[in-house]
Amino acid sequence: MGRARRGAIVAAVLIPAVLATVPATALASSATDQLISRLNRQLLYIAVPIAVLVEAILIYTIWRFRDNDDPKPTRENRQLEITWTVATALVLLFVGTASFHVLADPAVSTISDSPHGEPEPGEVPEDAVEVNVTAEQWAFTADYPNEGVTTNETMVLPANRTVYMYVTSEDVIHSVHVPDLGLKQDAVPGETNLVRTELSETGEYRLYCAELCGAGHPEMLSSIRVVDESEYDAWLDDQRSGSDGSTSNESTASNES
Amino acid sequence: MIGPVPGVAVALGALLVLAAYYRFRADSPPTSYADGGIVTPKIGLTTTEKPSGLLRWLTTVDHKDIGLLYILFGTAAALWGATDGMMMRTELLVADTTVWNVETYNAVFTTHGLTMLFFFVTPVFTGIANYMLPLLLDADDLSFPRINAIAFWLLPPSLLMVRGGLITDVVGTVVGLLPLEIAALTALEPVAMGWTMYTPLSVEMTNPQIDVTLLGLHLSGIATTMAAINFIVTIFTERPDDLGWDELDIFSWNMLVTSGIILLAFPLLGSTIILLLLDRNFGTAFFAIEGGGPMLWQHLFWFFGHPEVYILVLPAFGLISFMLPKFCGRRLFGFRFIVYSTIAIGVMSFGVWAHHMFATGMDPRLRASFMAVSLAIAIPSAIKEFNWIATMWNGRLRLTAPLICVIGAMSTFVVGGITGVFLAAVPVDLVLHDTHYVVGHFHLIVVGIIPLAMFAASYYWFPILTGRMYNRRLARVQATLLVVGAFVTFVPLLVLGYLGMPRRYGVYPAEFVPLNQVASIGAFILGVSLVLWLVNMIQSARVGTIVDDADVWNLKETDQFTREWQWFEKRLAERRSERPDPDEEP
Ligand code: HEM
Ligand SMILES: [Cu+2]
Ligand SMILES: [Cu+2]
Repeated sequence: MGRARRGAIVAAVLIPAVLATVPATALASSATDQLISRLNRQLLYIAVPIAVLVEAILIYTIWRFRDNDDPKPTRENRQLEITWTVATALVLLFVGTASFHVLADPAVSTISDSPHGEPEPGEVPEDAVEVNVTAEQWAFTADYPNEGVTTNETMVLPANRTVYMYVTSEDVIHSVHVPDLGLKQDAVPGETNLVRTELSETGEYRLYCAELCGAGHPEMLSSIRVVDESEYDAWLDDQRSGSDGSTSNESTASNES
Repeated sequence: MIGPVPGVAVALGALLVLAAYYRFRADSPPTSYADGGIVTPKIGLTTTEKPSGLLRWLTTVDHKDIGLLYILFGTAAALWGATDGMMMRTELLVADTTVWNVETYNAVFTTHGLTMLFFFVTPVFTGIANYMLPLLLDADDLSFPRINAIAFWLLPPSLLMVRGGLITDVVGTVVGLLPLEIAALTALEPVAMGWTMYTPLSVEMTNPQIDVTLLGLHLSGIATTMAAINFIVTIFTERPDDLGWDELDIFSWNMLVTSGIILLAFPLLGSTIILLLLDRNFGTAFFAIEGGGPMLWQHLFWFFGHPEVYILVLPAFGLISFMLPKFCGRRLFGFRFIVYSTIAIGVMSFGVWAHHMFATGMDPRLRASFMAVSLAIAIPSAIKEFNWIATMWNGRLRLTAPLICVIGAMSTFVVGGITGVFLAAVPVDLVLHDTHYVVGHFHLIVVGIIPLAMFAASYYWFPILTGRMYNRRLARVQATLLVVGAFVTFVPLLVLGYLGMPRRYGVYPAEFVPLNQVASIGAFILGVSLVLWLVNMIQSARVGTIVDDADVWNLKETDQFTREWQWFEKRLAERRSERPDPDEEP
């Protein structure tokens, strides 16, 4: 019985360790993803050993003191308690400072007080791509105001340029969730929130709706295709020439992959 | 037909019936009351001085009877909620909607969440406290026995109101197979707005059942608050003079702090729900975009919602701290620190709510401060784990079923707690928020700690509750299975979250299938464990070996034969003298 339990606990310890490998294998695909993945890895380097250590001590304690013939009464130990309180506090202080530095980066924290259409003068760099992302039940629409392009299919974005996405919703709350790019921003009706990042890896990334928005919620999927500059221009041209309707289906083909 | 009648009317009708019922009860002659609060109650082992049969259970104001009622009610709710859990895990075995459609899935996780949080966890802990607090405090009963009864009897109607839609839906589906049309059954659809009820979705959904559900939640909040007030007053006023605060047992301490949080948090939920009802039915604009805005709902809801998390878990911590020393043969290490950390958690729990809203586009400075408090609250939580291990260290561990449950809870707490720290770190939360990582994290607590603490208590006090002993071997198997099941079910969800799978997805991309299947297998292990527990409880209550020696756990040896066991010993002695021909002796 005890052995079965111990086996279970050992497994429980090993599984989080496996977790550590998950984010490490993903190459940074955007400035945001790079920052967050690195922070996440740092946290895992502390968290996994601590989890393993505490579980190991727990198992050892069970093994060692099970039916112990020589029990000793509890003796209070103020010093020990202060030590582990301070140690925990220090670890969390590290978590806090590391997180704070990442949080303060513009690629992670974007302040929403530049409402769409009227960015602070000089705030948006010359070569930045601006996209209005509007969610509604149950689809996302991407509007490129400077290019005169609108699509509700795959959103195409160029690599290595700053991207400004102004996220809002037409009806209920949705959420723009692109896990492989490290992006998440709720789409709140009546509010416009800014997501700012720079994409580095070309490829196709799935875009999910991550806030319950009714019966179509789990099917509110789309994708973001990151391409190089020339392909991006070609895509824009393509969209413009077909913007009267019929050819907007073209991009659907790649959408279903 | 009540088809066109708004849900509010139905719910108000239900409330009126209830009010009439209590009015009627209040008018009936006092002889119909049981003995609680008037004379020393004699129940549990005998039925003297009480009406017999069903009437006794309907009219009782004895804390032990009500405690049992709470526990039975909570268990029934747990079974219902667990059925939802199994339904969802069955649906998630496949990527598409072979089993249930998306709308049903949405309804099932909504009712699952509401049932588990409001009708399983808190009622069961209230039941345990109802039964045990007066014994532990050496009090005759709780301070307000009748309020105690009212608080309990409000719960069954609230549960039915909250879950009504699903019942009518199932009945409707069955009836639908027949060539009949019953409008009333199809008007009330199951609620599907998620337990967080975010506006504007919850305002825009036309389903009238949502109003009934909201009133049911409001009612259950009133019940929960009444019970909390009762506990607070009891702990303050019913202690004998020689029982100082420093002598108060750790479970009572935790119930005191929990009740304090309830008193501050639940009335807010009640008011917020009323605002939502007004928005839905009377066109007010509390949460409308042009009014208070959708964020107002989230702030109000989570100002209740985060303390609620500690309302759920603190009694479990209390039970663990209470039982662990009994099976280590030594006192709890750092009693004072544990009490302080519990109070600290209670206070801080009101300062972390916005960490559920990091992805809404909140100002980064605000996010940073909520991150700071959320990390700080991890300190008192971590300390508990260390204190527990230190209690075991150098002790004499007896690996009985209660201890296996307790240690199992300690082992899931490590993973459940540390995964929470990741969610407090804002940048990491941004990618993990609203994914299955969150579901995995909180289920490691709500499945990995809370039920384990309850199971431990059910085994530990089984002799007091029933006068019999449970099947120990079955209990050990059950406890082990539950710990294994919790890890197998919820650790894969952590990985799924890292891979990006959002929560509340009844259909999902095919690459997530394998991990979901592992999780579902884990859930079925949990289901088996639950059934084993149920079988053990029912069978042992009927035919388990009768307990003659009150010192079931050899507590006298280590000077831990606490008041509730002393009471039990007295009861056993009385029973022996009352019944000279003991027909139940083996
Ligand atoms: C019997 C074991 C359980 C299983 C198999 C289970 C399974 C699940 C599943 C599959 C979901 C939906 C995940 C999603 O798609 O978002 C869920 C949600 C949830 N569960 Fe459980 N659960 C169990 C026990 C519990 C318990 C004991 C509690 C509380 C004490 C609980 C509270 C919740 C809550 C609050 C939600 C969120 C509902 C929502 O999203 O609105 N569960 N559970
Ligand atoms: Cu959506
Ligand atoms: Cu959605």
